[in-house]
Amino acid sequence: MNNDIPVQALGPQGEVMAHAVDACVHCGFCLPACPTYALLGDEMDSPRGRIVLMKEVLEGGLDLLNAAPHLDRCLGCQACVTACPSGVPYGELITSFRGWSEPQRQRSPLDKAKRYAILKALPAPKLFSVAARVGQYAKPLAPVLPAALRGPLDLLPEHVPAMQPSPRVTPAQGQRRGRVAFLTGCAQQALAPNFNAATLRVLARNGIEVVIPDGQGCCGAAALHTGARDEALRLVRANLDAFNPDEYDAILSNAAGCGAGLKEYPIILHGLHDEERAKAFSAKVQDISEYLATLAREEGLEPFMPASRPLKIAYHDACHLAHAQKVRSAPRELLRMIPGVSIVEIPEGDLCCGSAGTYNLEQPELAGQLGARKAGHILSTTPDLIASGNIGCHTQIQSHVRRQGSPVPVMHTVEVLDLAYQGEL
Amino acid sequence: MTTEKLALTTNSPAHKPRSKGGADNALAAELMRLLGPKKVLSSLAERLSYRFDAIQFGVTPLAVVLPESTEDVIATVKAARRAGVRIVGRGAASGLSGGAAPMQPSVVISFTRMTKLEIFPERREAIAQPGVITLAVTDAARPHGLIYPPDPASFRTSTIGGNLGENAGGPLCFKYGVTGDYVTALDFVDAEGELHTLKRDAYDLAGLLIGSEGTLGLITSATLRLTPPPKFTRTLMAHFAEVGQAAEAVSAAIAAGAVPGKLEFMDQACTNAVEDYLHLGLPCDAGAVLLVDTDGDDLETVEVERALVEAACLEAGGVVRRAEGEAEAAALWQARRSVSPALGRIRPQRMNEDIVVPRSVLPEVVRQIRALGDASGFKLVQFGHIGDGNLHPNILFDPRKESEEAVHALAHEIALVALRHGGVLSGEHGIGTMKRDFMRDAVDAETMAALWNVKRALDPSGALNPGKILPDETHA
Repeated sequence: MNNDIPVQALGPQGEVMAHAVDACVHCGFCLPACPTYALLGDEMDSPRGRIVLMKEVLEGGLDLLNAAPHLDRCLGCQACVTACPSGVPYGELITSFRGWSEPQRQRSPLDKAKRYAILKALPAPKLFSVAARVGQYAKPLAPVLPAALRGPLDLLPEHVPAMQPSPRVTPAQGQRRGRVAFLTGCAQQALAPNFNAATLRVLARNGIEVVIPDGQGCCGAAALHTGARDEALRLVRANLDAFNPDEYDAILSNAAGCGAGLKEYPIILHGLHDEERAKAFSAKVQDISEYLATLAREEGLEPFMPASRPLKIAYHDACHLAHAQKVRSAPRELLRMIPGVSIVEIPEGDLCCGSAGTYNLEQPELAGQLGARKAGHILSTTPDLIASGNIGCHTQIQSHVRRQGSPVPVMHTVEVLDLAYQGEL
Repeated sequence: MTTEKLALTTNSPAHKPRSKGGADNALAAELMRLLGPKKVLSSLAERLSYRFDAIQFGVTPLAVVLPESTEDVIATVKAARRAGVRIVGRGAASGLSGGAAPMQPSVVISFTRMTKLEIFPERREAIAQPGVITLAVTDAARPHGLIYPPDPASFRTSTIGGNLGENAGGPLCFKYGVTGDYVTALDFVDAEGELHTLKRDAYDLAGLLIGSEGTLGLITSATLRLTPPPKFTRTLMAHFAEVGQAAEAVSAAIAAGAVPGKLEFMDQACTNAVEDYLHLGLPCDAGAVLLVDTDGDDLETVEVERALVEAACLEAGGVVRRAEGEAEAAALWQARRSVSPALGRIRPQRMNEDIVVPRSVLPEVVRQIRALGDASGFKLVQFGHIGDGNLHPNILFDPRKESEEAVHALAHEIALVALRHGGVLSGEHGIGTMKRDFMRDAVDAETMAALWNVKRALDPSGALNPGKILPDETHA
């Protein structure tokens, strides 16, 4: 799309944004992929429409205030990136735009407080755990609370599990085949500590030593995607200090959102002095499923015990795994290796579940509609179990599946593998 | 340079919008009063999202209406008429000729929320509102053993209303025809806001509405014919050193009696653009690639037809690859569907032609167009439904570095090649604004006057989608 974006005035991120706008030919192939277009049916809530809005704001022809409601509704799911034949890096555009525009936004005090609380609590597992516990007791009060507080409470599980500390080093069992670093994730540690425990067990069982480096923190994706660029840069640099890529075969994440965030570091630091470090770092980043599937293909995995009965698993593609990281086949390959397991594909599988990082908290109405739609589609396949690779999707899908009256278990892919190793699947 | 030519690019300084929120004109306020706020878009951010299609940028509309019923459409047309404001109908705006891009301040009626679809398997028909996505018709019909054959490349995005406006076709058009061949009845709202129901008897007024790009009426419902899908399909791909050879193979295969379901071609630049996107292992060194489906209910005939095509391709110097199984065939067809937008990887802007020529002259026409492109210095690519003689030469350019007047001049020369060889200006994408200026070369003055008489009969005040299809009479 031809444009007059004043690249020089906007700095390195301006270059990123102008390049993305250039690449869009407004063909409309992205429209059917976009969750908000599916719900709202209007152009300004589609990827193509949002690109036009961002272009106009950057050129100075449109007030940010006018464009913001439509840009805020973008889930950042990047389904449009998968659908785009012209290769528009939409994810980079919206992320950079949010970072550029956030300092110019005027927000209500309640809105500010909520964003502040989210950005402080998410990266701090202990704080998050305490908040989650408080929230758990506040749940009955939800109907009388303002909507801004009702959203987060809605999402909390009935029972918030106890925190489980992870050992700094988990030795490989048997002959050591590899050594990896692991990012433990933030909210995930409080909401689903078994994800990490299962990950460590599965890796160790396959001869992989796992190191959880000191000084690591939040990947920074939540801050970045909500426009808190300075905060994000601080978190990104802390991780670059904590993980020395030369020491490990891979740097692993088991949360799709965090993994995508880690892989984005070179974009975030584009034009800044740590860009080269970020490239070396992100080149080593893999999702747990990518790493295990490669290991399975190249050297083989320890065999799984068969499931106790034929098991139909509905595998949900997390947007940040399928669209942002292009990891689709690895989790399916791994699950299919368990004797007795078959995978069913979910109708409209490419459509976001509505969780999308902090979206659930910022746009609860649209998130709720998408969650209900996703749960309906999943349950239409009559699965015995639902698997996915992201804590956000996990929480969202579990909550909507329960709301539709189904007791079907929802698990992380690696939890399923772990149970199969223990003969408990 | 005319306004239309200027508007080919994004940045027409004359149309640079001023920032303002809220219902900033009386018409938008009136529409909101009549229809309620949810169906009317009036802020600048909302309105400027409706000034483009898949090729062209036009003028920011005064208001956008998202009707949910025919009554909403009628109320909008009447209100616009009272205010003396022009009306532009729009589907998903994936069109390639500027048909859905407003060329002056107007009301845009965007049909994307009118998505009611009913299937009547016993009479093999569907009744669709204009906002129904094209692919959704086949998706809904398939459980009943039926499909809706018109299959434009944009069928996941485009709407039935838009397909009707442009009389869209697709790869299947060679054997199965285009949108207009599947319409048995239409409802439309005229320029006065009156609703009419048309069957295809007496004067074929429905036929006139189809492909009229919203210049004669606004279609609010269509009855579409469904057919059972062919039982067997076989796919082959052939590649050639040079585009003319591919065209020779097509002519020879059809002359030998093959009637393929689909017969498409892509030149080297297209193949490479798609390969960059999908990584399918396409033959990137080849000057042209043909993609062919033969289909039918009798497997032996389907195989015989594929063998005829294969022999013709080999005779013309091609290398043939048979698709083994449905997955490979599907991947090859996805490649073809992605050509048009994948070209954006080469240059940010393009001018899309949509000529149709007799098949007997195909080799000569594609070679002449190739030569024009080579001589022009522009990046020119060709693809299209070659079985039908329908070619899409595309001129790719960068408006910041290359002259748009030169682009138009080249497009004009290409159009003249088609006309000299007994062809026409548009197969399936419409005339819109992109080829409006070439109409005088294609249509004699008397016939043009007849077209204008039709336009005036149905839209006396020129309210509907002005600036499209017909060149101004005053310059005749």
